[in-house]
Order: sequence, then C-alpha cells, then structure tokens
Amino acid sequence: MLDNMDKKNLKYIGKDQQRVDATEKLTGQALYAGDLEFAGMLHGKVLRSPHARARIKKIDVSKAKRLEGVHAVLTGKDLDYRVGLYLVDKYILAKDTIRHFGEAVAAVAAETPSLAQKAIDLIEIEYEVLTPFLEPKKVFDKKAPLVHPDLGSYDYVEAVFTPVPGTNIANHTKLRKGDIDKGFKDADLIVEREYTNPNVQHVPMETHIAIGKWDMGDKITIHTSAQSPFTVRNLFAHAFKIPHSNIRVVIPYVGGGFGGKAGIHLEPLCCCLSKVAGGRPVKIQASREEEFSLLPCRSGLVYNIKTGVKKNGKIVAQKMTMYWDAGAYADYAVNVTRASGFSASGPYEIENAWVDAYTVYTNKPFGTAYRGFGHVEFSWGMERHMNYVADQLKIDPLEFRRINALKPGSKTMTGEEIVANTGNVTSCMNAVAKSINYGKLTAGEKAREKKTGMKIGKSVVALQKAPAMPPFTGTVLILKLNEDATVTASHSLTDYGMGTYTSIAQIIAEVLRWPIERIRIPIETDTDRDPYDWQTVASKGLLLSGNAAILAAKDLLDKAYDVAAQALRAQKCDLDHDAEKVFVKHHPASHITFKQMAVGYAYPNGNAICGPIIGVGRYIAQGLTNLDKETGQGSPALDWTFGAHGLIVEVDEKTGAYNIIKVASAYDVGCVINEASVRGQAIGGMIQGLGTAMCEGYIYNDKGQLLNPSFTDNKIPTSLDIPEEIDCIAIETPQIDGPFGARGVGEHSMIAVCGALGNAIEQATGANLTHMPIRQEDVWKALQKPKSASTKKAKTAGTSKSKAKGKKK
Amino acid sequence: MLQEFSYQAPTTLKDLYSLLKKRAGKAVILAGGTDLMVEMHNNWIAPEMLVDIKKIRELGEIKFSRKEGLSIGATVVCTELIKDKNVQKYYPLLADAAHRIGSHQLRNRATIGGNLCTASPCADMGCSLLALGASVELGSADGVRIVALKDYFTGPKKTQIQKHEVLQRIIVPIDMANAEWGMRKLKRIKGHDLALISVAMARTAGVMRVGIGSCAPTPVVTVDLPASASLDKVKEATFKAVSPIDDVRASKEYRLFMTGEYVESVYAELTRGRSRK
Repeated sequence: MLDNMDKKNLKYIGKDQQRVDATEKLTGQALYAGDLEFAGMLHGKVLRSPHARARIKKIDVSKAKRLEGVHAVLTGKDLDYRVGLYLVDKYILAKDTIRHFGEAVAAVAAETPSLAQKAIDLIEIEYEVLTPFLEPKKVFDKKAPLVHPDLGSYDYVEAVFTPVPGTNIANHTKLRKGDIDKGFKDADLIVEREYTNPNVQHVPMETHIAIGKWDMGDKITIHTSAQSPFTVRNLFAHAFKIPHSNIRVVIPYVGGGFGGKAGIHLEPLCCCLSKVAGGRPVKIQASREEEFSLLPCRSGLVYNIKTGVKKNGKIVAQKMTMYWDAGAYADYAVNVTRASGFSASGPYEIENAWVDAYTVYTNKPFGTAYRGFGHVEFSWGMERHMNYVADQLKIDPLEFRRINALKPGSKTMTGEEIVANTGNVTSCMNAVAKSINYGKLTAGEKAREKKTGMKIGKSVVALQKAPAMPPFTGTVLILKLNEDATVTASHSLTDYGMGTYTSIAQIIAEVLRWPIERIRIPIETDTDRDPYDWQTVASKGLLLSGNAAILAAKDLLDKAYDVAAQALRAQKCDLDHDAEKVFVKHHPASHITFKQMAVGYAYPNGNAICGPIIGVGRYIAQGLTNLDKETGQGSPALDWTFGAHGLIVEVDEKTGAYNIIKVASAYDVGCVINEASVRGQAIGGMIQGLGTAMCEGYIYNDKGQLLNPSFTDNKIPTSLDIPEEIDCIAIETPQIDGPFGARGVGEHSMIAVCGALGNAIEQATGANLTHMPIRQEDVWKALQKPKSASTKKAKTAGTSKSKAKGKKK
Repeated sequence: MLQEFSYQAPTTLKDLYSLLKKRAGKAVILAGGTDLMVEMHNNWIAPEMLVDIKKIRELGEIKFSRKEGLSIGATVVCTELIKDKNVQKYYPLLADAAHRIGSHQLRNRATIGGNLCTASPCADMGCSLLALGASVELGSADGVRIVALKDYFTGPKKTQIQKHEVLQRIIVPIDMANAEWGMRKLKRIKGHDLALISVAMARTAGVMRVGIGSCAPTPVVTVDLPASASLDKVKEATFKAVSPIDDVRASKEYRLFMTGEYVESVYAELTRGRSRK
C-alpha cells in the first residue's frame, strides 16, 4: 500500500522521528502495571513446587487461612478451570499432579506482600516425588512417563495441530515437499549432524505483573503487563465461560515482552483470588526468580539435519527432524513447532524437503513465544550445518549460501513462489560480507592477531522469517478528529518497546499531510475503549496496523471532503486539502477548516450537518491459507523479511576466550519508516541473540530442578559484552502490500546471529560447536578434541584471500 | 523488602560490643548490605535485628603506617579503597581486586570487610588479601583478637567470627607494601560476574604467595614460597592448595586448567616487571 511513493516527496516516512513516548519514559512519568494501586488492593503470592514431577498427597492451608490480613487462599482443588492458547492443558494451579519445577501449587492474597508470603510459608504440602521425563529425544521410548496422560481428552485447534494421545507429543507438524528419496539418490554427498539449544529466559526489564478484580455478576477488570489485550480477554472468556463483554483488559506501559507476555499468565489467578476476597483487586508481581520457572521460557530444541547436495553446491534433499522441548505445557510451543517447521531450512531453496517437528512435553518449565518464534533456535543448527556441508564440499560457505538462497522463482518449503517483491536475501548477505571484509584479513586485523596472539575468524549467515499467525489475522484503527483538528488514534496493537506507535504516527501524518504533533496515539490499550487486534506478536504490527492507519487516515479525509463538498457546494473531485483546511482547487479562497468540521459543521445560521468525524481503517491479511496437515503445503506468509549477519571474532586458542570484534547486519525491510527504530530493533535483537549464543541457558539436575534460576548463574550480556563495532544496513525492496512498502523487522535481528558466532569461532580455530550457548569453556573443550582434517581445511578456505573474494558480486 | 526486623545503629564500638553480646545469634551486622539484602530478599535468613555499623567513625578509616602497614576499617567500601592514595601506592593489588567486584553501584556500597564476612569461596578480596598475608581484627566485649586470614575462613560462608564478635578491621602487613603483583579473574561475561576462578599473586624480596578463589571451599593461599621460586614450584604449590569441583559455573578440569594458565601468565608478568626495574 503506497509502496510506489517516491521517498523524496515524503515528509515523515524514512525520517528519524522522536518516539511518541520518549518524554514519559525518560522522566519516569510513564505508569506501568507495577505502579498502579487501587482502593482496597490486596497482594498475591504463589507457592511454587520444588519438584519437577510429583503427586500432591496432601495440602494443608488451615494455618495460612487463619493468619490475620489474609483474604484468600487457593489450591488446585478450588479451581476447575483449564487454560491454553491452542491446546487447553494447564490448570491455573496444579491439581494433584506437579509437572514442572516452579509450578504454581497454591496462592494467597493478603493485605501486604509480606503477609502474603508469610501465609505461603504456612502452607504444608506432602509430595510423592516421581521420576521426571526430561529428554525430548526419548519421546518414542514406550516406558517414558507421560506428562499428560489425559492428552486425548483436551480441547485443541484441530485445523492446525496434531497431538498424539498416549505419548508426550503435544503436536506433530509434518512437511513433505517433492520426492525426498529421489533427492537423496541424486545427491553426490549426504551430510548429517545434530544441534542443540537449551531453554532460555526472555528477561524483560519489567517482570509479569497483573491486577485482577472480579466483581458481582462476573464483571472482570484486569490491568496487566501483557502484550495482547484481546488475547487475554478471549482466553479468559473461554476458560471461565464468561461473556467477552463482561471482561475489560487494560494494558498500560509495558517494559518489554519478547514473547514472554504474549499469552495469558498471571491474570486468571489474580481474578480468582479477587473473587474469593469479595471483589477486592489482587495484584501479583512476579519476582525475577519467578520469571525463570513460574512463568514460561523459550523451548529447548534438538535439531537433526540430513542434507543431500550435488558437487556443484546445490542442495537437492533435506530431512529435518525437530524435537522441541516444550516443557510441561503446550502454550505457544505447539505453534513455534508449526511455524519453525515450515521455515526450518532457513532462507534456502530445498527442492525435496521432509520435516518432522515434534512438540514434546517434558517435566520442565514450559516454553512460549520468544522473539524469533523458533527461528533463533533452528537457525543455530541450520547456519552451523550450512558451514558444515560447505566444508565437506570444499565450497566457501558464503558462496554455498548464495547458490541455495531463495530468489525470484524459487519455491519456499510450503510451495509458495518467491517473487521480485518478496525481498532479497542475497543482497543482505553481500552487504554484510562487504562490511566485514569477508574472506580475508585486513592489514589491521593481521596486526591485531600478531599483537594479541588470538586468531580472527569471520562468517556470514542468512535468515528469514514470516509472521506466525492465523491466515485471517486482522486489525482496526480508528482516528477520532478532535475539536482543534488534532486526531486521537484508537487501536489495540501494544507498543512494549518496539517503537511501532511512532511509525504509525508517521504513517498517519504522512497520509493526512498534517504535522505529526497533531497525531496522538495513547499508549494504554483498553478492550472496552479500543477496537480489536489479534495480538502484538510475530513482527506483523507495522504491516497490518500500518495499513489500517493508512485506510483510517484516508477514510477520515474522505469524510472531511464529504462535509466540505456539501458546505462549499463543490464536487469532491474538485477538492484538495492542506494541514488546516479543505478547499476548492480552482478557488482556494473557498474552503472550510478541519476545526470547523471536526465535531459537525455549522452554517452561520446555526444549521448543522454531518456530526463528529472519525476515520476507520480495517485491514486483514490477504490470500493466506492453513497448511495441509499431511504435506505442510500452503501459503502461511504475510511477508518474508530476509536478513544476514556478518561477524568477526577473535579467539584465544589456548583458553577458549573470545571477543566479538564486529557484527554487521542487513535486513530487507521494504521501506524504512523510522530509521532510529529500525536501528534500535537491529541492534537490540542482535545483542539479545548474542546473549543466548554466549552465556544464557537453563541448567537442570537429573531431577529436573533448575540449578540457575536467577541472574547469579543465568548471565545476560551487559554493556561491556556488546561487539566493538556494529553496522546496520537496510535494504529496501518494497513489499507491495506493506505500508509505504514496509515489512516487519522486530524479531529478525535475533535470528541466526548465534550461528554466525559459532561459524566464526570455528573458522578462526577449528572448534567444532553444536550446542548453544558457546561459553569460553565450551570453546576450550572443543579445542581439546583433535581437529578433523576438514575443519582445518575450512579454516584455510575462510582466511585465504582469493577463494571467497573472487566470487563476490 | 518482605521481612520485619528491628534496627540499631550504635555510634561507638563499646555500644556495638554490648549490643552484640546481648543479642548474640539474633542480631546480624549490616555494613554495605549488598550480600545481606540479597540473603534477606531470598528468605535465606530472617534476622530479628540488623545492627548498622556505619555510624561508628573509626570503622570507616583506611590508615597506613610504616609500622603496621595498611589498616582497612570494616565499613570501607570498594570505591574508597580503589581511590585511596596509599593503597594505590603500596598495595595496588587490592585496588585492582576491589575494582573487579560487581558493578559501579555495588562498589559504591559493598565493603571490603563484608566481602570477608560473607566468606564466599569466590570472594574477590579473599585471594588478593591472602596473597598479601593479611589478617583480620575481631572485636567483642571480651576483647580484641587478631586472626591470620589464612586461618580465618573455615568453610563455604563460614569463618572464625563468633556470634558476639565483629570484624572491625583488616590489616595488611608493611612487609608486603610495594610487592610485585598480578591478578586474573575468570568470568562468564565481560560485565559484572562472580569469579569462576580468581588468582592473585604477590611477591616481595622475601616471599611469594598465590591466593586462589573459587577453587576450594574457601579462598585459599599457597604456602609461603621463596621469591626465587620457579614457575613449576609455584604451580605445584598452587595445585596443592586447591580442590575445585564441577558446578553450573565451570567444570573442575577447566578450573584447574585456567588456574594453571593464570599462574603462568601472572608469573611471566612478574618476571617481566622485575627485569624492567
């Protein structure tokens, strides 16, 4: 939409516009859920299980109930409600069975947090500890304990998912493209390897916080730090069988989500406590430690890739088997499995592809959406594997990627045809290769090696992602014209840090041709005030809501022209407007101002016409389909955003210590709406990705207990850990159905950067790494193993000056 | 904060001693609080009373004398130690070690004495003060006693301090002033982290010692080695002092490897330093 506008003529699109919420955030005026207080508000605390799998033999809450100032005590027995996004499998509090370390077993609401904690400490529980199921790869072991013996009786979204009752498989996604057997038969070489990722935590600055109030007549009010107000409302309505209109969900400022706040989490518990407490509001504010195991994390992955290639470097067959470690509940993990299943090859064309992606229940904290929605995890394996295969073929790994990259005419794994406007992954790779001087060491880098005694390695990786969303995902944006000719937008996309609201304001100002100062986008969303939006996830916000914003602005102008046409006795085709007024093109003096018509136009004698003006823009994803459950074929992708990272690392071969010297990232964003926002997303996601590559990850003992449930031993990068140099590049191949040609780039920066680090370390030293994170000790361990002949050669190939360079664009 | 406790802030050592005697086992001393608050936040401890010692003037002093050496009062924070002229001049190893603790915010609040009282195996001041042959002065209503730091740590988070005693200052001997020194700390990130292992070495004309952190149940130190000890002898003494384990932070074998690496590189640094003089 408006993708063919010449940027030179645009006033706001492509410019650095200050964030609409900058002042509030920088001065501390912005109010988050944790800042909110209501009359009579109580504080909730949760009792968490210390065991991964257990039977609750006895719970005694009598002492807790007797404590003065305690107004509600709940256990699983009191709450017969199950919740679940796609597969309804989770009780609000564990009922009889404990399925993961940290699971909520009981909850209390009391007058102070300290009292609530005291009451929690008075609850006596007797557990029968059972052997947990912890290894997703053992999913076909008939003797494995079942995490959900009743899986067969659960409700689920049948059009999309396939649980296998009697097993730990919450979902099996299949993809069958071409003829895999024939493909492998035609291959000159078959290369197979397995790659693993642990669970990781989102670590938003603001933890999960919800305040619930359950009034008489089942009227519910929820204030929460969630990403998607209407998802909270919808899931709540289904779980409790309450009309949607009874439930009001308000989302104030949110301090980061990254997918961890995408579904419904603490809200039902707060409301149930409130109901018992006679309708007093109940706030639960998760501690940082609770974020690690009471609330969800990112699923782990074991990824086996078997690739058949021709000597010329063309991949002819690829069999991909994913074992997603979903933890105890399916939540978003089943959809992560689906979305990464159809995307599992990365941005490469695979003629004959076969994917089996299993969402496996285990007795671990459960997995949910996390920036990249599975793509960060599988891209670690896939991008390591691309280098591994290239190495065996003795082809430069970048050249190998270029040979297989999706390009116009290619078919994706689901059979969708790539066209010129889909975006250009090869341009992204070439841009980052140039930025890092791929394929050679500069004089400065050689001198640095000499000085430090460390080895420098370089790598280029590529990535892709489309929004994982239902094919019928839609949104609405309403513009309400105010008396002074400002407009207030109403919609339900949330901005939990991405900067999308600012981009939407730019789009509205551009279409209206008004100063951006006259566009107001309230930060708070409220299901009673604002119209529907599916969810704020999947990097779809800018495209869908941006289009809705264009349509709303056009609709508002259309209504204004209607008024002007009548008032000025002119035809609409003879009208034009500027920032202040609508006028007759050939008699500019004949005009009425937006102020005059804002709430209804009145003639001098008092007669009035038309009423207050609003503009409505509705937009829904177009042309998408569900995927065939047997073959995985169909059209799932609203837009494909392609990208690439180039990374330079230096490694101490003796100790395994390494420093990231530079990361260059390029994304085909279609059109840069706000340059600072694109750069912010590019750098933020890249560093978040590097965090998971370098140091993050859950560590369990053999009982399934989390050994590093806090920042003490679950490290995240700090300002000292970021690369010495960062380069961000935007490629602009317009997306025809994107606003001004733009597509989303919220998640993409996190994808594949882990593989880039692994590949660069291998290129520098020959260290063969297949597990994330890559801690210094892991590099050391890998270097203790005798280097294979091929990795030694790979090293020479990467650093020799001619090989890669000769083939550059 | 989820706990209730009473709070006292005596202004003299005498008042402190009597308070500690009266409430022995129930009162916990609060200096910087950077460890204490975490322990209370996690409900690992629930003291009835916090005794804030920051109002006792003499505990806040850093003093240097030619006779005794360096005296670090119990409430001296890392930043003060780092900025102290005498520390920079005579005991730069301590400034370096203190600088490796936590982040700016923590260093502005965390005390050197508290680091020794928490007595974590990974205490950053442990290995450096051990290498310098430091001792601690424990005071109580019963009197004052001085304990050599190498005897002070008795186990993970365990020390010789009695329930009614306070660690009132740390003494670093004068004969270690101007010692040659070097320190390394292995971390998981470049930002603030606990030591996976730490190695601090100090050498004077008369003695050489290696203090090692996170490689045994307490910070440990080698026997006193002659200044002329060879690298092999130093490594031998180091490996004799340590007994690392596998945990979520690092494996035993990597700890041993990196300890050896660090001893080698610091030893080389000391030797280079000497040849420059």
